[in-house]
This record gives sequence, C-alpha cells and structure tokens, in this order.
Amino acid sequence: MTVRTWLSERASVPSAFINEAKRIAGKDNVSTKECDLIAYSLDYWMYGVFLSQYGSLPSLPSIVISPGNPEEIQGILKCANKYKVQITPFGGGSGVLGGAIPTNGSAILNLQRINRFVSLDEMSLVAEFESGIIGANLELELNHRGYSMGNIPQSLYCSTLGGWISTRAVGQFSTKYGKIEDMVLGMEVVLPDGSLLNIRPVPRRSTGPSLKDLFLGGEGTLGIVTRATVSVHPLPQLSSKQSFAFPSIEMALEAVRKILRADARPAVVRIFDELEAERYFGTKEVTVIFISEGEPDFVGPESSLISRISEQNRGTSQGENPVEIWLKKRFDIGLGPTIMQQGGIVDTIEVVSLYTDAVNLYKDMLTSMRAVEGSLLVSGHFSHFYREGACLYITFVGFPKDTYRYYEDTWKAAMEATLRNNGSISHHHGIGMWRMRFMEQELGKEGVELLRRIKTAFDPNSILNRGKLIENER
Amino acid sequence: MKDKKELEQVTNCALCANMCKYSCPTYLAAGNETISPQKIARLIVYEEKGLLEDRKGFFEVMFKSCMCGACKQHCIYDDYDLRRFIQMGRSKAFKEGLLPDETKKRVETFMKYGNPNGERQLMQKGAGTIGYFVSCSAYKDKRLLKAMDRILSASKEKVQQFGGADICCGAPLYYAGDTKEFKKVARKMKGEIEGRGLKKVITMCPNCLKMMREVYPEVGVNLNVEFAHTTEFLAALLRETKIKVKRAKGTATYHDPCILANDMNITEAPRRILTALGYKINEPVYTRDHTHCCGAPPGARLGFSKLADQVKSMRISELKQTGADVYVSACPSCKAVLSDLGVKDITEIVSEHIIHG
Repeated sequence: MTVRTWLSERASVPSAFINEAKRIAGKDNVSTKECDLIAYSLDYWMYGVFLSQYGSLPSLPSIVISPGNPEEIQGILKCANKYKVQITPFGGGSGVLGGAIPTNGSAILNLQRINRFVSLDEMSLVAEFESGIIGANLELELNHRGYSMGNIPQSLYCSTLGGWISTRAVGQFSTKYGKIEDMVLGMEVVLPDGSLLNIRPVPRRSTGPSLKDLFLGGEGTLGIVTRATVSVHPLPQLSSKQSFAFPSIEMALEAVRKILRADARPAVVRIFDELEAERYFGTKEVTVIFISEGEPDFVGPESSLISRISEQNRGTSQGENPVEIWLKKRFDIGLGPTIMQQGGIVDTIEVVSLYTDAVNLYKDMLTSMRAVEGSLLVSGHFSHFYREGACLYITFVGFPKDTYRYYEDTWKAAMEATLRNNGSISHHHGIGMWRMRFMEQELGKEGVELLRRIKTAFDPNSILNRGKLIENER
Repeated sequence: MKDKKELEQVTNCALCANMCKYSCPTYLAAGNETISPQKIARLIVYEEKGLLEDRKGFFEVMFKSCMCGACKQHCIYDDYDLRRFIQMGRSKAFKEGLLPDETKKRVETFMKYGNPNGERQLMQKGAGTIGYFVSCSAYKDKRLLKAMDRILSASKEKVQQFGGADICCGAPLYYAGDTKEFKKVARKMKGEIEGRGLKKVITMCPNCLKMMREVYPEVGVNLNVEFAHTTEFLAALLRETKIKVKRAKGTATYHDPCILANDMNITEAPRRILTALGYKINEPVYTRDHTHCCGAPPGARLGFSKLADQVKSMRISELKQTGADVYVSACPSCKAVLSDLGVKDITEIVSEHIIHG
C-alpha cells in the first residue's frame, strides 16, 4: 500500500531538467525521494489536511528543488521555461487555501533555505529579511534589537515573510500597525522569466502604478519574492488591556466604529460573538477586547477614550482578564487535529465589508452556513478594524456523512452570503486553489480577465503556480 | 506503537500546522520541510500504517533529528514529545539493520570498546560519596579535566572522579535505537555508581545527566542517587564561597546546550556563575528556551555529518553576532563542535579565575 493522490497525478519532468536543476542548486538540494515528495504535497488547506490523516494527499510534486539564493532561483525559472516545467513556490506551507499544493504534479520550489535576517536601519525604522524567514524568527531577531514588525498572525510560528506578502496577510495587531501592504517598503523579486526585479525601499513613490502591489497578493503566480524591506516599530513601552461586554453584536460594532472614528488606533480590537465568548472566556455575552500600546503619553488617553465610548454604548467593563486569556490562547490550534481524528472537519473563513453591511453579513453568513447538513458549530468574531469597516472571521465545525459535500457547501454558502451583502470574499487568507471558483463573482469577468492578461504578460508559459488565484489552464 | 492512544498523539502532531518548526535547529539550518517536526510526524504515521515504500529513506529522516527537544519545548500539546516517536523509528531501523553508515560505525565502536571513543584507560581519582563522572566527551579533553582537578583541589571537596575504560552512560546506543544493549549499559552504570557508594553524581555532559536522571527509569533502571550538572555544582561552590575567584573583565556569551536547557531546565546556574565572576553577559538572539543545538549533541550526533555541519555553522554565526570577549558553554561536546569560535567550557572559565589559598 502507498500514499494515494486524489487531485492530480504526479507529473514526470524531463531528466534534462532534473540534471540542470542539480547543476544550479546542487545535487543535495534536488530530491525525488518519497519522504520529500510527501512533505511538500500539501499546505494547511483544511480539507487536504483532513484527508492526509488517511494517507490521501491532493497531489505529489514531481520533484523538490531547494535553491539557496536568488541567482539559483533565476536559473531554475529559466530552466523551467526551457523545459515547460510547472513550478509551485513553497514558503512555510501554512496557507489555508491550497496555494502551495503542487497541483498538476508540478515541481516544488522550496524557499525555506533563504531565511536570514539581513539588516536593521534604526534611523529609518526599516529592516530587511530574506523571504523564507518564519514570522517568529523574524520577530525574535527584531525583539532582540528592541523592535517589532507588528505583524503577528495566528500562523506566526509557521508562516514566512514571503508567504505574508504573497497572500496579503494580516496580523492580530493590525488595527494599529497596519497590514502587510502597509509594512512592505521594498522587495526583490525573481520574475517568471528568471530576471530579477529590485524595488528599492522608500516610504512612497509616484512613478506609475505601484509595482510592489502586483506581488502583494500575487500568490506566487507573478514572481518569487526573495527578500523584502519592512517597516518596524520600537517595542511598546506601555500596554493597556481592556475588555467590555455588550448586549449585542450590533452594539459592539457600533462602539468600535465610533472609537475608530474618534481616531483611536488600538493595536488589538476583537469582537467575539456569544459562542466565541463562551469558548474563550466562559461568558455568554458578546465581548470586545482592546490592547492599546506604545508611548505612555498616547496609551493613557487612548484607553480613556475607548473606555468612555464603550460605556456610552452600553458596554460593561470586564477588566484585563479576558485579554490575558486571549493572549494565552491565541495560537492554540490544538482542537482542530482532535476534531479531525474523530471524523469532523474544522475551518475558518475571513471576509470583509463596510460597517453599513457588517451586521447583515454576519447574520446571513451564520444562518447560511448553519443550514448546511452536517453543521455542528458556526461562530464568529470581528477583527482587523478600519474607519470604514471590519473583517469578519468565521469558524465552522461539522461532523457530516459526506465531508467533501459538507465542506464545499459550507464554503459556497459563506461566499454567496458575503457577495450578497456587498462583502469581499477574502480579507487576508487569499485565494489559492480552493477559493478560485468565486473570483469571477468577486472581481467580475473584466477583473478576472485583467488578472489573466497580467499573468500572461508576466508568465507566457504559465510556469509559476498554475491553477492558483485565477483559472489559467492552457 | 503500543496502543491507539500513541497513534492518536502522533497523528495530532501530524495534523498540526507545524507551530514549533521555527524552533527546530535542523529545519532552520537546512531549510528542509521534510525534517520539520510536523512532517516527521506525518511520515511516522504513514510508516506505522504501512504507506511508505522507501523505508531506508524514512529511517534516514529519523536520524536527521538532533533530538534537542526544541519542538517539545514549544509544542502546543501538553505531555507530548515527538522524540519518543522518532526514537521508536530509530529502534525499528536498528532492528532492521538500516542505520545510517555514520551511526552504524559508532555503534560498532561502542560494542567493541564499551564506549564511543575506542580504547581508553580507566580514570579513577579521589574518594567520597560525591561522584564526578567523566563523560566520553570530557575524557578526550585534557584541559577540561585539568580545570576540574584544579577546582576540586581548591574547594577541598571530597569528590570521587570516575570514567574512561568501558564506563559510559549508553547515550550513543540509546540514540542509535539499540534499546536492548542500552538497558545492559544502564544496569552496568548502576553497578558502578552503587559499587562506589555514591550518594550524588555530578556530570559535565548534559546527555549523561539526562540518561541517568530521565531515561534509566524509563527502561527500569532506578538509582537512589542525587544527580547534578557541573554548573549547579560550580554555582554552589561560588555561592558558598568554597572557592575564591578573581574578578573578570569584559563580556561573555553563554551558549545554552540544548539538552541542558530543554530537558534539564538548567539555564540560570551558568549565568549566575558568569555574573559572579564579573562578566557582563551578551545574550544571543537564540538563547535559554530558544537555544539552538550545536549540531552534535553528545551521544545523539546526527547520522549525517553534512547536516550537522549546517547546524553548527548556523549556531556559530548566531553566537558570533554578540561580539563578546569570551564564548562559554557547559557541555564538552558543544565546546568541541564550536571550537572554531573558541568556545570554552564554563569549568575552564571558573578554573582560570580561581585564587588559591
């Protein structure tokens, strides 16, 4: 008995390509060994993870290539064009939409050898890293020097800087520090034809359309980001933790909206619905947590403002304890594997809307997803706030008879509810392979066609991450 | 695996998002997903279910872990240690005669001489109920042995030193998966300790300490003896002013040996020693519970020297960044491996500062 694949067969690659890859990256960095193929067969797309426990993987790569520098990546991409070999870039493998699955049995380009801290410019508050560095290592390097990037996603310990850029990622402290697109000032990218693009770090430029934005969310389809310069912040001198219980989601959203409107920028704001509040804090009331941090001169007044507006909107202070509990539990994903071993499936979906639509979106998503046969639990929280709207993050658990049917139907219900309520189908997890089918409804035919033309202009042979972000089979 | 519960535990690990991989030194040094903890767990599950064709390839992966315990230290599950399952994989490899060549050679040397060094003399000095066990890694380092002699002489402590010949804690056999012979060696060591009438045993090597304190009881060898690491012993000598030292100048960087920090939870005693000597400590980025293995933990040396070299180079570069005047560790193997950086053992540092009389 061997490992089974269910999405696509392993492709064979010309031996001349393998030999050239070995010459470029070194023979120890090119592998077709079974253990390596299994290790790079899947990211953290939950349906794939669910099936993986039974020895069933979506797709095995034909080969795993691990270059050690941008020059080697350039060589590999030139070679891939020459032999028409499809390449799937693999960062931390933490993506939840199948973006790093080697569909079509493509070759894996493992970017984890390129993982160093490069430099810190304390005067300009920027730091440069190679793209394969894991978030936690990036933060350890910066914290040691008295700084933080402020991008702390739940995947901090397993996702890479390159992955954050490729998916337009967001961290838990985003309301103050911004999202990845606010943090990246410059980058080096190997383009699909093997040429090297260097976007020098500056705070802003007016030199035509922003080139770096093509790669922020490019999902490895338009180029391979090899290093990036990001903004950093001195570690906060003071941190203020507050929480409030509200009679309803509507009132909690209204309070947070007014707080943002009053120009407060707490690092963390999260509104937990009744179910999530019960799961986290053991209370049945909608709970909002805030963390304000930075210079003491700012933190104090901001905390007072948050407290005043929350109370004016029927919020009741719950003290620091819920914030401490959240800080302890925020990386704990231990329940998911346990549920999956019992035959259930768990996943999360993040969408975004304006405040005008937020409540309707929340209610519609929950109702639609709960109606799917096999649903056990659907709960949600709002996080990542803007003056104009917020991200809604839904967790769902099902114990269905037909896992695939349930998984697909639940996603469909969630995406349709989002589009019905004027939301966007993804706030920060990206599209990958799984969410691709909803892209036309999200962007319109014209939008998808434009992306397709951009892809063709960049990558005429469709070498890079084919079958992700947009349908571009040829 | 013994039961369903064990398979469930390692499957949980295989279905996790690899939340500990950022701490794994072999993964970081090689940038190789296959040897990251979660992927190792997936391969172990598949092997258990008979889904792998390339058994030799699987066993190679089992010997690419440095068994440093970083993944356990940063695991989201309580009471789970991936190393237990890697160890099972190693035992299978041993039984099937599929050890990596380098590991195989070490086992052969051990079986011939009763230790991993080869032919050696019995070491026996002093008397008393406190024993100082000279590990295989310390045995080769004459400077280190001299330093300990000097300290013991200055402190006037009654300590019985023993080691050499075929006296070994058995770690090389344990990590090679030879459980049967390891048990025999553990029982032999028990005889040595009891035969010498020891009430306390001090070791310089963190892995000897781990074997005697943690692993022997797991294989049914129990000793009614107190165990301590050299750093605890030296810190106590300084605290109780049993040795007088002159003040040092400058900065020191302490490299936490992986087993000492991750398994024995000893991170503060060595720092207290350096501070007591007068050093200002320059911490590296990866320190205490974030320390990185040097690439050759005693007895658990990686089955692949190229990978060991990558881990070593990474650690040297991390330590070098502190720009300290002295680099210190508390494990004879770390000292040997990190010799390019001139790392000294903390025993030598204390010895250098002793004022006699």
